[in-house]
Amino acid sequence: MTEFTELAIRHVTKSYVVDETPLPVLQDVSLSVLPGEFVSIVGASGCGKSTLLRLIVGLDDVYRGEILLGGTQVSGPGADRGIVFQDHRLFPWLTLTENITLALDAFPLPAEEKAQRVRDAIALVGLSGFERARPAQLSGGMAQRAAIARALVRRPAILLLDEPLGALDSLNRTRLQDALLDIWEAQRTTVIMVTHDVEEAVYLSTRIVVMEPRPGRIRSVIPVELAARDRAAPDFVALKQRVLADLRH
Amino acid sequence: MNVRSVAVDRVVDRFPAVRRIWTARAVGHRLLPLAIPLIVLIAWQCAASLRLLPVQILPPPLLVATTAIDLIRGGEIVDGLRVSLWRIGIGFAIGAGSGLVLGALLGLSRTVEAYCGLTFRLLAQIPSLGWLPILLLIFGLDETLKFVLIAKASFVPTVIATSESVKQIPAPFREVARVLQLPARSYLRRLVLPATIPGIFSGLRTALSHAWIALIVVEMLAATEGVGYTMVWGRTLFQIDIVIVGMVVIGLIGLAMDTGLARIEQRLQHWEARP
Repeated sequence: MTEFTELAIRHVTKSYVVDETPLPVLQDVSLSVLPGEFVSIVGASGCGKSTLLRLIVGLDDVYRGEILLGGTQVSGPGADRGIVFQDHRLFPWLTLTENITLALDAFPLPAEEKAQRVRDAIALVGLSGFERARPAQLSGGMAQRAAIARALVRRPAILLLDEPLGALDSLNRTRLQDALLDIWEAQRTTVIMVTHDVEEAVYLSTRIVVMEPRPGRIRSVIPVELAARDRAAPDFVALKQRVLADLRH
Repeated sequence: MNVRSVAVDRVVDRFPAVRRIWTARAVGHRLLPLAIPLIVLIAWQCAASLRLLPVQILPPPLLVATTAIDLIRGGEIVDGLRVSLWRIGIGFAIGAGSGLVLGALLGLSRTVEAYCGLTFRLLAQIPSLGWLPILLLIFGLDETLKFVLIAKASFVPTVIATSESVKQIPAPFREVARVLQLPARSYLRRLVLPATIPGIFSGLRTALSHAWIALIVVEMLAATEGVGYTMVWGRTLFQIDIVIVGMVVIGLIGLAMDTGLARIEQRLQHWEARP
């Protein structure tokens, strides 16, 4: 794991071309994320928040501006960035262990170390005992944990989460939020999470980025400084109201 | 941890078939597919008994069965089948094998698609037997003729099914492969192969049935042995019972080959979630 890798997004502008007319998705987005931060990006649909994650992870290279990780321009996917999508995207024909081991396929590590890392990742997300299960045999929440393990096993400097809990029911959601916090605290990874659940953003993050749509821009960046992670505490509620107000703006 | 309790009952029993109870109802259900053949057989027997058609045109089932036994004892059926199966084995291996390669290349590479796509689609429009006149002139009645024709008949459906299945690998999975920086070998083994097996196999089954049809027809038109030839021989003798035996054999062997492929497919797809 690389220490002190700052992510710097500088003046990123991106448009898709629809029917030969360029449709702006991101306009002059600049953001710096320090190591160990948990940054949530909230915004109405169409504000380009998922697109931003795709640019950071390197699935899309067509944009203006710069995305620097530890001072070097990001180009294509790399071991320093991991992503978890809203749908778990585990390969249905592989077992849990096989799915997670696949993430280390490109790593020049001895098989023994790979196996150890996979076991650690599975334990970290609380799926020990399900190593041989296939995705269809896992519940939605468990599959999502597996997807998180698949990203973490590569020990990325930055973990990108694209609405990772969006498809879960509220009980599983709260559980996984706490799991995410535990993982983040244990691993000290930098996390950037896209969500449209404001409460989730306030609960998990150290900073919240509010984006506005058409074209996607950053409206405000709100630091989260709470005495405790208590959803009922007055400062929690006040902060949630503030983010919601910014969203409605 | 409560996640576990949720999940234990979700990790399904891997061998549900072993525990299936053989009730009379279950057995009855498995016999249902035989109902229609049985009705046809009865209707055929009735038609023959009532002499709706002369015996020379519609021989009764019992006569056909006797002929079948005679032909099996005499070795005509076995010899014919040996020749036909040898032909389809070689031809299908060549056609399906090369079809898999070209199909995979067409699906994976835009360059190959750009060069070969149009030519392939054009050639695919010409029915296998449309090639027969010219192939007859080139190869004569030789075995090569049968191999080439069967290879062509199995090549086209295999290429189409393979390239389509490769193109239809879900984009989200391709993205995962990119994010995980999968090397080419793992990409093929862990994503392309398992994702395309169902599509490719349905293509192979189509290919095999096309090949079987092409073989029988070419044996009827241009051969001196084989199941198709046996039928033509029966027709020239005006022994329709031999023709009917040939038809039954063709149907049964075709069904057996198709079932075989379906079984292999099931094996390869052992991961498919069972309810």
